[in-house]
Amino acid sequence: MRISTLGFQSTASQQMQTLEAAIARTQQQLSTGKKLQTAADNPVGMAQVNELNAQLSASQQYVANGNTATANLQLEAQSLTGATNTLQSARDLAVEANNSALTATQRQDIATQLQQQLQDLIATANQKNAAGDYLFAGNAAQTLPFAQSAAGVAYSGSGQVNQIQISSNQRISAGDTGASVFMNIPAGNGTFTTAAAAANTGSASITPGTVTNVAAWVPDTYQISFSSPAQYQVTNSTGAVVASGSYTDGDTVSFNGVQVTLNGTPAAGDQFTVAPAGTASVFSTLSGLIKTLSTANLSNAQLTTQINGALQQIDGALGNFNSVQASVGARLNAITASQTSAQSLQTTLTANVSSLTDVDYTQATTQLSSEELALQAAQQSYASIASLSLFNYIK
Amino acid sequence: MADILATSVSGLLAFQKALSVTSNNISNVSTPGYSVESAQFVPQLGNATSAGYLGDGVQVSTVTRNYSELLAGQMRASQSSYSSFNTYSTTAASIDSMLSDSGTGLTASLQNFSNALQTLANAPTQTASGQAVLSSAQSLAQSIQGYAGQLSQADQNIESQVSTSVAQINSLATGIANLNTQIAAQSASGQPPNALLDQRDQLLNQLSQYVSVNTATQNDGELNVFIGTGQSLVSGGTAQTLSTLPNPYNPTQLDIGIASSGATVDVTGAISGGVLGGLLSVRSQVIDPTLNTLGQISVGVANIINQQQAAGLTSTGTQGQPLFAVGAVRVSGSSANTGTAQVSATRTSLSALTTDDYTLTNNGGAWQLFDLTTRQPVTMAGAGTAASPFTAAGLSIVVNGAAGNGDSYLIQPTAAAAAGFSVLLTSPSQIASAAAVQTAAGATNTGTGTIAAATVTDPTNPALLTSTSIVFSSSTQYQINGTGPVYTYTPGAAIAANGWTTSISGTPAAGDTFAVTSNAGNTGDNTNLFAMIDGLGANSLNGGTTSLIGAANTLVSQVGSQTQQAQSNAQAQQAVNTSATAAVNNLSGVNLDEEAASMVRFQQAYQACAQMIQSSSLMFTSLITAIANG
Repeated sequence: MRISTLGFQSTASQQMQTLEAAIARTQQQLSTGKKLQTAADNPVGMAQVNELNAQLSASQQYVANGNTATANLQLEAQSLTGATNTLQSARDLAVEANNSALTATQRQDIATQLQQQLQDLIATANQKNAAGDYLFAGNAAQTLPFAQSAAGVAYSGSGQVNQIQISSNQRISAGDTGASVFMNIPAGNGTFTTAAAAANTGSASITPGTVTNVAAWVPDTYQISFSSPAQYQVTNSTGAVVASGSYTDGDTVSFNGVQVTLNGTPAAGDQFTVAPAGTASVFSTLSGLIKTLSTANLSNAQLTTQINGALQQIDGALGNFNSVQASVGARLNAITASQTSAQSLQTTLTANVSSLTDVDYTQATTQLSSEELALQAAQQSYASIASLSLFNYIK
Repeated sequence: MADILATSVSGLLAFQKALSVTSNNISNVSTPGYSVESAQFVPQLGNATSAGYLGDGVQVSTVTRNYSELLAGQMRASQSSYSSFNTYSTTAASIDSMLSDSGTGLTASLQNFSNALQTLANAPTQTASGQAVLSSAQSLAQSIQGYAGQLSQADQNIESQVSTSVAQINSLATGIANLNTQIAAQSASGQPPNALLDQRDQLLNQLSQYVSVNTATQNDGELNVFIGTGQSLVSGGTAQTLSTLPNPYNPTQLDIGIASSGATVDVTGAISGGVLGGLLSVRSQVIDPTLNTLGQISVGVANIINQQQAAGLTSTGTQGQPLFAVGAVRVSGSSANTGTAQVSATRTSLSALTTDDYTLTNNGGAWQLFDLTTRQPVTMAGAGTAASPFTAAGLSIVVNGAAGNGDSYLIQPTAAAAAGFSVLLTSPSQIASAAAVQTAAGATNTGTGTIAAATVTDPTNPALLTSTSIVFSSSTQYQINGTGPVYTYTPGAAIAANGWTTSISGTPAAGDTFAVTSNAGNTGDNTNLFAMIDGLGANSLNGGTTSLIGAANTLVSQVGSQTQQAQSNAQAQQAVNTSATAAVNNLSGVNLDEEAASMVRFQQAYQACAQMIQSSSLMFTSLITAIANG
């Protein structure tokens, strides 16, 4: 076969250029550590890498969200612990006050102490988080949730709390509204409240009572009226008599699936009320108790009934704090669980990205050596072949 | 004796010529396009004698060049293919590497924006987080605008390369035409003008780098050159001028025209191969579609976020303003239009929006929409008036004024969107984090009914933020605000009024009320931010099949595979071209060893002829001496 001199030389130089380009490419892979430089290297792989990176970034965001939610919820848990302690002290004071041997002045002293507990509780309920938002204002984050006025403590926060996304398909409440924590606490025993009429002259007091048969309970306002110290009848709001009987000190009055206990001796004409329970705020409970203790001329029966009612309310509030506390704990656990699984997901994603983009050093180094060898051979053979010419021998 | 002398002299002269051909070959060893030449020896017939014909020596009849039309044609064809793919892949690779940067790429920018919204959702009252949302929106806008800028820069580069290529083609065509004239004149003597033929082939090779060519040789040695689908570029001594024409719809885009019988014909669609073919295909296959897809993604982001902005409240308690601006639908009338109609188009549906371009043509009073990508007509609803616009492909099109018959308009729904994508808001307080309305059950309700959160369906309803109550007259009937029509209650069914919709479940009692009121004041609400995040993540494009990030990923991989394909085609064509060039070189190139051998051969022959003269002289001397001595 005939080879032209120019053709031989240009082919040889072209081949060397091709080899040099291959070496430059391998060198670039080795120096950057990336085998996927642009999408043209592996179009499907690049799309996967972008998708995986987006997932990785989202997952990291969810972990950060979880950290914010954790900080908020831990703060809420601390506040709830504080509120529980305050309320527990208030309860102790109420128990102490529930003693007919105390003088009006002594009760006034307890009332003063309770006033302090009330202020503590309001301060706790108005606490702010690290971002400067009120912890218990719901999503009205910048509105003071509990304002105190002559009429009592009113809630001005929102009824909704924010959700925070802690995984691609999981959003949790980052807090609780002040309404659900401090305001909407079921009054009385949760089903009904009891009260003694202010005009009672006897020494009988009424307990908060219990429900014995939920199905038989008909929500209505009932009056327990004593026609004599030993005779009573229970009437509903339309005046119909639902129960009646004779009474001795410490007897239980039962009707429509509920029972209440009366202690002491009522006078003829004394009345006690059993009404369906609404909700009460922990603040109004404490305010009411303070008012009771500060009122000088209450009968012992009135005092006992009202303090018993307040204790029942305080227990309800403590129970409410507890269940919110438990739900906060459950949410914190959910965050930890989702963060743990996010970490293992991130490890997998990172490994997948790496396998698509990172260079295999062993393979690349081997490839570089073989390419170098090929270039050396091409250069050496060119140098020796190019110098061959018949003209060298014609003398 | 005299015959011997004359015969030897003919040999001397012939070998002198042959040596001069050899020396010419050796001199041109490095001349590109030079075809090795050889002297053709022809024996002289001589004189008839009784002893038969005695040869009269030798003559060089002509000097021929080693040349194969077939191999040269193959080389030119592969050269055109290679140039085309190489040009294509160079431009595509620059777009590819622009889109492939995983740190600052489109996918990463979209995800960062979504992440910033998440961070703001964690604490919507935090100004710093709001600022971060605006910053990430800004960098998303910069990234998309940057891409649009680079694409239009690439487009401009292509236009200028098209102009340069056209000028080159014209200059080469003129060169070939001139050589044709010279070759025809020189061939008249009957001898081939080898150097001119080599020059012409060389010009033809250069021409094939710019555009794919076909040739036909005429009897007088002239060569006709055709491009595209048979348009004559060179005919004998005349070269037709190739020119750039402004596109009728878009004057900044250049089309290719060729002069043909006095008029200029648009041959853009017919041009293939070479640098010019590569430029035209990369423009229509990579740059324009990429710009359209980027536009579609921009429209998606802007639509989703802006709609949700309007459906939410800012920290000042007002409905949000649009966060992003996006370029409008581009409508361009053809320069050939004769009427005065004004066509305007707006986008109405994100999911129906396509990345295709369309033409709207007045066909004898009936307007027809034609999809330029699928090459299919598109059915439009409506009458084209402002009251009843044409609707198709997620667009609403209004035609005003009188159009001439055949008038046409190019409608590009997304082409201009990316370049106009920018952030409009400047303050974090303008971000509508909170839902527009909140719902609550009445405080004195006695039933078990609960009301779900309301979603805004019409942010433009003027009564959206007006307090509304849903009043139950019985457990199965309700009225809005206690007046007007009485509706039958179905648990969980949608209840809509004033631009919002909600639902109530459970059993409300007679007299129960549910309030839907403005959410102003709840500055810590993040409900609307989650609506934005969910909107960004949803499959909102292409009929609800593609998410924004999905579209961005598809774009990256599509440009990547176009580049990859062009690169591998270029490599393959380079190999074909290398082997075709080697075949031409091996046939036509000079081999120095061969020339050395020829030189020795002709030298020896020359010496032998000279020796024959000496010998003839000796014979003559012998004869003279014999006569003198006799």
